[in-house]
Amino acid sequence: MNENNEDRMKKLLQQALPPVEEEPAPGRSLWPAVFRRLDAKPAPPPLRIEGWFDWALLAALVAFVAYLPESIPVFLYYL
Amino acid sequence: MNSHPYLRAYLAGVFVPSLVLPVILAGFVVLRLLLEAPFPIERFLVFPLALVPTLFGLWNMLYLWSSPRFQQPIGLHGAVLPLIGAPIGALVASCLGILEFGAKGVTYFQAVNVPYALLPVFILVAIGGYYLVWKYIVGSLNRVLGIA
Repeated sequence: MNENNEDRMKKLLQQALPPVEEEPAPGRSLWPAVFRRLDAKPAPPPLRIEGWFDWALLAALVAFVAYLPESIPVFLYYL
Repeated sequence: MNSHPYLRAYLAGVFVPSLVLPVILAGFVVLRLLLEAPFPIERFLVFPLALVPTLFGLWNMLYLWSSPRFQQPIGLHGAVLPLIGAPIGALVASCLGILEFGAKGVTYFQAVNVPYALLPVFILVAIGGYYLVWKYIVGSLNRVLGIA
């Protein structure tokens, strides 16, 4: 009786759920296309400090922290 | 690459605090667990861990929204952030007991005394640092992520 029920349930499930079709694998490797797309995008310019004002500001900040090293945890607190 | 610009702006904003946080955590581990410092510096972590990254992310989202309207340089936009973050941080620090207001100045972490006369200099240094960080690091990330 149980086997009959199982068979019946199996048939009902097979009727209710459509068979899963396997997606065909691409015929070629997709990695070259990914690399081409990455290479086509222009690289951002390298990080470089420009102008005398920014250099002077950076020097002043470094000098301040060097003069008052106990200020470092305060600035780390505020990031 | 043109989808979700505000999400990308938020991620670019939280990048810098995420770089600094491991340094702070390392300092915490060394001071508290290895050197057994008596001061409860875990309270120190609340503001930089929980609020600063969120502030950076939201501020960069605000930049993305406002730059077409006001055309402000990103360095100047970032330089304004300490004027908002410093009072919030001071309030949090005061509530957690790591900042005490005295007659002549404030004391951070029961160790670092900052006279009131020197506080404007500290704020100017913070503004300068934020200007450089936002102009060169956050601005560069915005360009990399295609939102600048």
